[in-house]
Order: sequence, then C-alpha cells, then structure tokens
Amino acid sequence: MSIYDYSSDEVLIERFKEGDEFAFDLLVRRYEQKVYQLAYRLTGNPDDAADVAAEAFLRMYNSLKRFRGDAQLSTWLYRVVSNVFFDFRKREARHKHLSLDVPAEGDDEPYELPIEDERVDIMGHALQEEQKRVLMEAIQQLPEYQRVMVVLFHIEERPYEEIAQIMGLPLGTIKSRLNRARNALRQLLEPYRELFGVEASPTFGVPQEASDAL
Amino acid sequence: MRCEQVKSLLNEYCEGSLSEAMRERVEAHLRGCAACQREARFVQAIWRGLAAMPEVAPPPDLHARITTYVRANTRAREALGRVAFWRWAGAAAVAAGLFIMGFFAAQSDGVQAAFGFGAKSKPSVQAPQPVQAGVFLEYRTTADGARIPVLEARMNREATAELRYAPDAKTEPIVVWSGRLQPAKTVEIPLQTLLHTSGERVLTLRWTLEGQSRVLYVPAGYPPAKLASLRLQAKLGDALRQLASAYQTPIEWVPNGEEPLVVLDVQDATLEDALQKLLIGSNYTLKRHGGFWRVVSR
Repeated sequence: MSIYDYSSDEVLIERFKEGDEFAFDLLVRRYEQKVYQLAYRLTGNPDDAADVAAEAFLRMYNSLKRFRGDAQLSTWLYRVVSNVFFDFRKREARHKHLSLDVPAEGDDEPYELPIEDERVDIMGHALQEEQKRVLMEAIQQLPEYQRVMVVLFHIEERPYEEIAQIMGLPLGTIKSRLNRARNALRQLLEPYRELFGVEASPTFGVPQEASDAL
Repeated sequence: MRCEQVKSLLNEYCEGSLSEAMRERVEAHLRGCAACQREARFVQAIWRGLAAMPEVAPPPDLHARITTYVRANTRAREALGRVAFWRWAGAAAVAAGLFIMGFFAAQSDGVQAAFGFGAKSKPSVQAPQPVQAGVFLEYRTTADGARIPVLEARMNREATAELRYAPDAKTEPIVVWSGRLQPAKTVEIPLQTLLHTSGERVLTLRWTLEGQSRVLYVPAGYPPAKLASLRLQAKLGDALRQLASAYQTPIEWVPNGEEPLVVLDVQDATLEDALQKLLIGSNYTLKRHGGFWRVVSR
C-alpha cells in the first residue's frame, strides 16, 4: 500500500509529537516487519516475537516524544527490541532447553517438496532446510547478549558501528563479544558439520605435530 | 603458527579484518593444514547459512496485535488535559441516540468565545449545560497560520467508537482511531497526516458509534467555496464525495441501506441548491447543523 509512503520518519515523528495518532500508526506499519524479523530471530517463535514487537512499539509510543533524532529510528528501534528481549528473558521463570536432536514444534509435519520443478535438487533443498533449522536452534541456545550480536551482525547484517549504537557499548567491546559469540555458535554446531558441507574432523583439536611446524 | 592460534584467528581471517602480515601467516598455515582448512570452511559455511536465512512471514494479525496492545497500555490522550478543546454549542443540543455534527472553526470558535470557556473550565462546572455528543470536524490553526483539520469526538455517555478510512472501495479500511468515549472527555483525531499521505482531495471516513455508522466526507482544503458548477451521474455516496470536493465543505451521510443513482447538472449553485437537487426523488433529505450539511433518511 502506498498511502503511508510519502512522509519521512522525521515528519511523522513531529506529527506524532503534536498528537497525531495516525502518524504513529504509519510508523508502526513502516517498521513492524523489521521489528518482527529481529524479534523472531531472538525469540525463535512467532508468538513471543509478536509479543516482543508489540511491547517494543509500546515503548516507542511512550518515549517517541523524547526521541531527538541522534540515531536513525530503525537503529533506535533495534535497541528497544533488544532491551525488550532482555527483559522478557529475565521475566521468563523457566528456560526452555531445546535439544538440537529433537525437531522443534510444528516441524514434524510432512515436508512438502516443490513439485513444479523437477530439476530441483531435492536432497540439497532438504539439507538447506535442515541447516536453517539447526542454525535457528543453535542461535536460541546462545546466551542473550551473544544471540543479539550474532543476529544483528550475521542475519540483519548491521555494521559494527550501528551495533555499538544499538547495544550502547564501545566498538571494541562489540568486536570481542561478537568473537566470543561466533566461537560459541561454532561449538554448538560442531555435531552438525556435515550439514555445512564440512566433513567431520575427529582429529581436530588434538595438536597436530605436522602442522605445528608450519 | 600453531593450529590453536590459527583457530583463534579464523573469525577475523574470514571477516577479512586481519592485518596483511597476520593474514599471510594464517594462509601459510592453512596451505599445509587440512584440519584448519576444514575449520575455515566450516566458519564460512556457518556465516553463509546465517546470511541466507530467509525473512519469516509475520502473522497476518501482527499490525492489529501491536496497535491493540499499544492502545490497551497507553493512557488515552484525551486524559491529558484536553479540556481546552471543549466547546459547547447549546443551540445544537441533541435529542437522543447517536449524533454526528460538524462545524467550521469560525463558527465554533465564536461559540466558544461567546461562552467564554477557556482552558481552565471544568466539565463539572458546565454540567447543567446541554451536553453535546458526537463527532465534530474542526480546524485548528497552528503557530505558522496553517489550518489543520481535526475530528473531535465526545459523548454525553460512554460509547464505543471507531473511525475507519479506506482509500477506495477495494481496499480494506484502516482503523484510524478506536476506543471508548467517556462522558466529559474529548478525543481529538488529527486528520492532517491522513489527508497528506492519502493525497486525496476528499477523505471518506466511516464512523461507527455503538455499531451504527455514518459516512463523513472531509475535504482537504479550506475555506469552503460558495458556488460551484457540477455535472455528474453517480451513486449517492460518490456524488456526495464530489460535492464535498467541489465545495471544499464536509458532508455527512447517514446511509439507510439505500444508495440511489443520482444525476446533477448545476451552474454556479450553492451547496444547498446542489444537494436539494441531488436528493429529489430519493428517500433522503437534507439537514443543516451550523455550517455543515447532513444527508439523512426522510
């Protein structure tokens, strides 16, 4: 729909500050998709993602009057979503421990293969789907901060500088934390190397004298 | 360089952020170490997999879920000192049920001035006055002199109301505002953004109050035109919309289930003349409230 494509964020924010509720509605429409994507990556399920998105927009509603435009609205919203996610996790009494061996809920439905194109590499496609599922579940097992880092950098593909703004942390801290998060993710995915086209390497990790020399 | 060292540098190596000297040393090791090569490929494959994660489709009710949640958890704006917008027009007191009336600012400003109500007036003091209920089209003047159209909704009893807007008949209407109207509280709904973003000369708004609906045609411009020439053949709703546009004057329509085909051919006619001619032979009649025309059932 094009009816909300005309005004810039700044104009809509100004209108909202003047009491225009419809301007807020337009901002929600403009960003709900993005906000939901991030929330989904962090929470790993559609229901929690919608809850996080709703709470994020509520916080936007309550604090937009104080928004001074130092950062892009999207950056600011990412920050809000991350904070809402941290708060949700804190409130969560129980921690779901998903096992990578057990399919996530809803995944046991028969997998529908696209039949219109016979040239589709069925095995490759199934492997890719499996890879996505394993990646998503591994992300869910990362500690919250590491999860946000990995999602923002590798999935949302935000630059370091923006992540630093989102997290409110210095660039160096972001880099070192992202490094730890990447290593943790790699460790979680260790049993699934073959899904990534890399053969198991049972000897890896044991110092190899031959390569030490190099 | 040892395997462990290389392993600890793989993230930066794959990212390309190592210094040239370090990169060369890592590469030298990789050339001779199949295990580290595999590890580097593993890292790259993970990253590729992350970057290729497809967007997920949000639930179809996401927007509704967000806006309902936000509304439920924010204090209604009318609670924040909207007393200043109370305007009373004793002459237009309503009889019963649901009412929609519109005024031009010039007139209602006059009424406000005549009664001398300011921002400090309290509804309780005014309680003996005949209380109006309904929806009012107002124009507010901003600091830079621009007139901003706003809808004001107020009721003399609690009522559920909803304002919807659809850019055309095929599009699902957007809820511009919904909520409960409380006695002695005014809700102001600015229309400027809606008019601006829709790019339309006339907004078609549908008010639903306690399940009954009214159509309000709100023109973008101001002030109203006195005379206009028009030739049209259209369904009543479309015709009223065209009149609202030609005369830059809001028109309210209270549909009774019938939408007759109407014809009109007038030269330099007033809006009243045009409307009277338009409604000849239909089950609708014209009523006037202030400077505002309503088309209602006979």
